[in-house]
Amino acid sequence: MSYSTANGPRLSQNDRSFGWLMTAPGLLALLLIVLFPLLFTVFTSAFDYTLLHRKYDTFVGFDNYLGAISDEYFSASLLVTVQFVVAVVILEFVIGFTVALMLNAVTRFKDVYYLILLLPLLINPVVVALIWRMFLHPELGIVNYLLSLVYIGPVNWLGDVRIAFWTVVLVDIWHQVSFMIILLLAGLSALPREPYEAARMEGASTIQAFIYVTLPLMRPVIAVTLLIRLIFAVKTFDLVFIMTRGGPGTSTDLISYYIYRSAFFGLNIGQASAISVLLLIIVLSLTAYLYRYMRSLT
Amino acid sequence: MRRLLFSAAICAMCVTGAQADTIHVLMENVPDTRYVQDLLPEFKAQTGIDVEIESISYIDMHSKLAPQLSSPEGGYDLIVVDFYWVAEFTQAGWLMPLDDLIKKDNVDTSVYLPTLMNLVGKVGDTTYMLPFYNYSMGIIYRKDMLNDPKEQEAFKAKYGIELKIPTTWDEYKKQVEFFSRDTDGDGKVDFYGTVNQGQRGDCISMQWSNYLYGNGGQYHDANWKATFDGEAGVKAIEDFKADIAKHGPTGAESFCFDEAANVFGQGKAFSFVTFNILLAGFDDPKSSQVVGKAGIAANPGGGLNGGWGWAIPNSSPNKEAAWTFIKWIEAKDAVRKRTMAGGAPTQAWAFEDPEIVAKRPEMGQLAILVATAQEFPTFTYTVDFVESLGRELNLAVTGQKDPKEALARAAEDFNKLVVKAGLQK
Repeated sequence: MSYSTANGPRLSQNDRSFGWLMTAPGLLALLLIVLFPLLFTVFTSAFDYTLLHRKYDTFVGFDNYLGAISDEYFSASLLVTVQFVVAVVILEFVIGFTVALMLNAVTRFKDVYYLILLLPLLINPVVVALIWRMFLHPELGIVNYLLSLVYIGPVNWLGDVRIAFWTVVLVDIWHQVSFMIILLLAGLSALPREPYEAARMEGASTIQAFIYVTLPLMRPVIAVTLLIRLIFAVKTFDLVFIMTRGGPGTSTDLISYYIYRSAFFGLNIGQASAISVLLLIIVLSLTAYLYRYMRSLT
Repeated sequence: MRRLLFSAAICAMCVTGAQADTIHVLMENVPDTRYVQDLLPEFKAQTGIDVEIESISYIDMHSKLAPQLSSPEGGYDLIVVDFYWVAEFTQAGWLMPLDDLIKKDNVDTSVYLPTLMNLVGKVGDTTYMLPFYNYSMGIIYRKDMLNDPKEQEAFKAKYGIELKIPTTWDEYKKQVEFFSRDTDGDGKVDFYGTVNQGQRGDCISMQWSNYLYGNGGQYHDANWKATFDGEAGVKAIEDFKADIAKHGPTGAESFCFDEAANVFGQGKAFSFVTFNILLAGFDDPKSSQVVGKAGIAANPGGGLNGGWGWAIPNSSPNKEAAWTFIKWIEAKDAVRKRTMAGGAPTQAWAFEDPEIVAKRPEMGQLAILVATAQEFPTFTYTVDFVESLGRELNLAVTGQKDPKEALARAAEDFNKLVVKAGLQK
């Protein structure tokens, strides 16, 4: 017996079995590494399981979920996370796309630019947070010193409620924008030349070529880039843990840090699991939406 | 081939033997840990046991310890336990009782200060730890300025009282105000009366406790009902806010002790309510501009009592060697060496030892500081409470919440947690 595939020739039963055999170890590993912890987290979220009481003997159903939802600081933390994700994804995309377009036009020293851009991305987030915490020390840091030379400041980077959130966003941009640049630049380099030549012959300006040729052709790459960056942004933890501990007040209290506190300060693994599941549902919904949008474009 | 296998077997035995004589310890990256590290070659020479110390920052310690200790076989033979983890760790059954070992080896625990033995030694009648060092909080101040006759004259003229080590909270507040100065005439204070550690979490909770005690407040009554949300608590928040706004550097509401210490160490502040263990660092010319100028005094009303204890986890793979190390490092000779280097002792005799006092004249003040220190509430959920208190205090000092409301929420959390711990009737 043979089967037809979407794009290729029919596969024989032997080929099909061989395919399953080859992929089985990988699928099994995925099952163990991804699915098992996931299901275990869902299971744990339904019990009063703490590090002080490590037994699954008290079934609480949805109590851990309701407990989290009814906590005012959970809602505050969720809101801060949404604001943070929107801010970093949009700003990093705008900066990243601009730089990628500029680099795409560069012919000389391209490797040097790549190297410089990649450097922040190679630094561990904990180190990034520690370095910036030193740089931004209001009294002894280099940033305020430089600003004082032009009679600005001192700026209260991490202690002012209105500024601290944007300080964390800026540090995240410094660290992560290269990721956007690299992915978008790869997409731009792979674009065909013909549509541009046709546009030029039709008398299109540079801006028109960008709007009517570059953007439509880049849509799938942009969607993937935004999707990946969005998922990473939701998971941001190290920056706030080292730089602000969620403060001042709750202004940088990201959901990842909220989960961390539930697990390791409150020792409440059941509730931490419940919040993680809620977060997973949100991220999965967003991913599914963007994935469908991406498929509709292709 | 046989020879090869034989060599491999010998090597394997060597490796196993080496592992048996190595103990792994998790410690905080602080000066007292470094004084211990300096003594390790001596310990190795005497016992043949290697000690590998993993020294990490405080904020990573609890999250690293909790999962390690809750597993049946941990990676650490020996740990140090902060005072407010004690109830949690013992309640969870993570620490090994030491009473049998103490009895077997005739270790004299009466040398320890009773307050520290209660804090990081005994829980009820069981000894789980031996006190390692104390970090009771006090006021680190510029003794060159406090003892300056011109400053003393100006202070007396302004306030009508002597400029000396403060014995009341109000006296200390006057000193903070007096020394806050605009030295370059630009209209902004640039020499600070004090420097705060206002970062959300344990940083603000620990320092604010001194403000609470200074204002005559306590955390709870005899029935463990919260009392820190009363008038003294509100006044303590107002004092803390005023110090940040008027007498301290920009950004102190985001400082932890290291950032605040840097400001004091650079000679930009008169005083710093903090852990006594930081004092030795201000006499290090590599990192300090105030060498020989920093002194320490007890906080009026008492400072926060803090300390760390040596403990052997139940999951320790090498309990015997860990106990050998504890006995050695807590013996008189090692304690003297650590204290001479700048350590904060927990044994009573070390505060009066002539050799130590000759090198560290501040031992007299340190003895008063430790003797007058106040207890922070320690119970199973102290870590959770510290987070709640730290969040509310930070909301209040950054102006996002009314002090009364903030304290009411922290008190509500406290009462829930102590009921959960079975303390409040």
